[in-house]
Amino acid sequence: MAGKSGREISAVPEGGLKEKLLSWEGALILILVAVNILGVAISPVYNVTNVLREMPKYLAEAFMVFGMGYILVLGDIDISVGSIVCLSATMACFAGNAGLPFPVVVLVCVLTGLVCGMINGLIASKFTELPTMIITLGTQIIFRGIAEVSLGSGGSLSMKDTSGLSALGTKIGPFPISFFVLVIFAVIFITLLSKTTFGRRLYAIGSNQTAAKYAGINVQGSRFFAFSLLGFLSGVCAIFLLSTLFGANTTTGNGFEMEIIAMCVFGGIATTGGKGNLIGAFIAAFIIFCLRIALGQRNINTQIILVVIGLMLIVSVVIPAISSAVSAGRKKQGN
Amino acid sequence: MKKKIISLMMAAALSVTTLAACGGTDQGSAGGAAQQAEDSGSGSESTDDAGKTYALVTKSAGNAFMELLGTGFAQAVESTGGKAIIKDPQAATADAQISEIQSLISQGVDSILVAANDPSALTAVLKEATDAGIKVLTVDSDVDAASRAFFVNQASTELIGQTLLDACYDIAGGSGQYAILSATSQATNQNAWIDAMKAAAEADSKYANMELVEVAYGDDEPQKSTDQTQALLSKYPDLKVICAPTTVGIAAAAKVLQDTGSSVKLTGLGLPSEMVEYIGEDDAHSCPYMFLWNMIDLGNLAGYASVALVNGDTTGAVGEKFTAGNMGEFEVVDVDGASQIILGNPFKFDASNVQEWADKGM
Repeated sequence: MAGKSGREISAVPEGGLKEKLLSWEGALILILVAVNILGVAISPVYNVTNVLREMPKYLAEAFMVFGMGYILVLGDIDISVGSIVCLSATMACFAGNAGLPFPVVVLVCVLTGLVCGMINGLIASKFTELPTMIITLGTQIIFRGIAEVSLGSGGSLSMKDTSGLSALGTKIGPFPISFFVLVIFAVIFITLLSKTTFGRRLYAIGSNQTAAKYAGINVQGSRFFAFSLLGFLSGVCAIFLLSTLFGANTTTGNGFEMEIIAMCVFGGIATTGGKGNLIGAFIAAFIIFCLRIALGQRNINTQIILVVIGLMLIVSVVIPAISSAVSAGRKKQGN
Repeated sequence: MKKKIISLMMAAALSVTTLAACGGTDQGSAGGAAQQAEDSGSGSESTDDAGKTYALVTKSAGNAFMELLGTGFAQAVESTGGKAIIKDPQAATADAQISEIQSLISQGVDSILVAANDPSALTAVLKEATDAGIKVLTVDSDVDAASRAFFVNQASTELIGQTLLDACYDIAGGSGQYAILSATSQATNQNAWIDAMKAAAEADSKYANMELVEVAYGDDEPQKSTDQTQALLSKYPDLKVICAPTTVGIAAAAKVLQDTGSSVKLTGLGLPSEMVEYIGEDDAHSCPYMFLWNMIDLGNLAGYASVALVNGDTTGAVGEKFTAGNMGEFEVVDVDGASQIILGNPFKFDASNVQEWADKGM
C-alpha cells in the first residue's frame, strides 16, 4: 500500500481506528497539538482569543488548499493562484467603487476567479502536451499584469464603502465568518474527493492518465473542472482577504501559490499525482498558521519562520521516503 | 508500528527545530537592537515606564535603509528605559505588514510605528490597534491621516526641492542647462520633489539663467537609467548638471558619467554605500555631493515620538509640541491635511563624510 513517497493512499478504504490514528493524518494531528503546546509554552499571549483574532488573513488563504489538492492529485500544478487572487480583489474594488451593491461585488470577485480558472483549465485540457507549470506560469504573469494595468499608476485601490466587507469580517462568538464557511467547504470537498466515484476517478487520472482514459474516464473534463474550481476558490479567498485588507494592490496575493502547494505537500499530497488527501492538507494548513502566529508572537524573525516551515516540509517528505526505503531493503533481505 | 515511529520522529523533529529557532533568535530585529519583552502580554496594563514596549514595523527585511531606521529607533526607546520590538515583514507588502501588526496587538504593546507599504490597506488593522489602546504613528511612508496620530517625516517636500535646485545652481556655477533623471513617471515622491524644484526655480529670479531641458525617467531600473543618462548626454551637448532624485538613478548615472569621463556633473538623492566611489570634488569623480536623510536620526526621532505619545506628552494634535530626547523640541504641523513632525534638512554627503556613512551600511 505504500506509494511512491511511502504514504498511505487514502482513497483506498481504510482499516480500523488504530490504523487511522497511525496514518499520516494521525501524525499531522499530533504535530498540530505539539505546535499549540509549543505556542502556549513560548508565548504568554498565545490563547484562543488572540489566535482567532490573528487568523482571518490566513483562513482566506486556506480556501485554495482544496482546489490545489484536486489539481495535485490529478498530477497537475497551478502557480497562477496568487495572481488570480490579485485580479479578483482588484475587480471587486472596481465594482464596489462603481457603487454596485455588496452581493454583486462578491459575485464579481468570485466570477473573476472562476473565469481565470476556466482559462487555465481550457488551455490545459485543449493543449494536453503542454506542462501545466508552464501554462500557469504564463497566466500568472498575464493575470497580475491585467491587475497592474487596471490599478494604474498608484498601484493600489481601496474600497470606498467598507460596510459590506466589514460585515463579512465580523465574528460569531470568537469565530470569524470565514471559519464557518471554510469548515463547510472542507466537508464538501473532502467528501467529494474521498467518498465519491468522482473523487476516485481523480486519483485514477493522477496515477495513470492513459489507463484512466481507456477506462472511459473523462480525463480532460476532470482537469478542466479542477482548474475552474481552484479559480473559483481563489475568488473566494480574494473576497475574504478583502474583508481584512479593504483594498487591492499590485502585491496582493504575492507568493500564495507556493504557500498553498507547501501546505498540500506537507499534508501528504504528492505532486506526482494520485496520492494524498485533503484532510491532511487541511490540518497541515492549520499547523503552518498556528506555527506562524506562535513564532510571530515570540517576535522570531520572519526569515527564521520561513526556514522552520521549509525544514518541516523537507522533513515531512524525506522521513517517509527513508523509512519506506529501509523497509523495502528489509523485505529483500528477508527473502 | 513503522508509522508510529514516523509520527514520533516528526513531532520530535518539529519541536527541536522550532525550539532551536526560538533560542537562537531571541531578538527578532535588524541590528540586534530589539529585545523581546518577556512580560509584553501585560505591557499595556503596566504603569511604570520601564515596562513599556514600543514596536516598529519596517517595510521589509534586508533593507539597509530600514535597518538604520531600526537602529535609531531602538537607541531612542532604550535610552528612555523602554523595550523596542522591531518586526521585519516577510515581503515588502501590506499583507505581510498586517500579520506583523496583528501579532503586536496580541502582545499588547504600547505603541506601533509603521513604515507603510500601502497608504490605505493598513487602515483596518491600525484601527483595531487604536481600539485596543495602542498608540499608532508612521514614519518614512504615511497612511491615511485618520489611522494614526501623526507622521514622522524625513524632510518637507519643499525643502527637498529647494535643496536639489540649489545644488544644481551651485554645481552649474549659476547658469546653464540641467536635466532631471527620475524614477517612474508616476512615482509619487519624485514627482512631488520635481514639482517643488520647478516651483522654487520660478519663485526666485536668481535661477533665471538655469534651464531645465528634460525630465527623463529611468523607472528605477539600473539599465534603463543608464540608457536614459546616455541619451541625455548625446541630446544636450551643453548640459552641465544632471539631478537624480532617486537612489537607483543616481548610481546608474554616476557610473556612466565617470566611465565616459564626461564633464557633466551629478547630484541628487543617493545611498552613500552605492555612491562612495563616485563622490569627490575633482574631475575624476562625477558627483561633487548629494543628499539623503540621516536614517538613524529619523529612527531616533520616531522612537522619541513613540515614547512621547505613550507617556501622554503629546496627543499628536496639530500645534502641540514635545521634547524628543536630546534632539530638541518638535511641533506637530499640518501639511496638506496630514499632521506630521519633520526631522529637518536633507543630509549632505560629500567627499569628507561619504566613506564614514558607507561603512555604517547606509
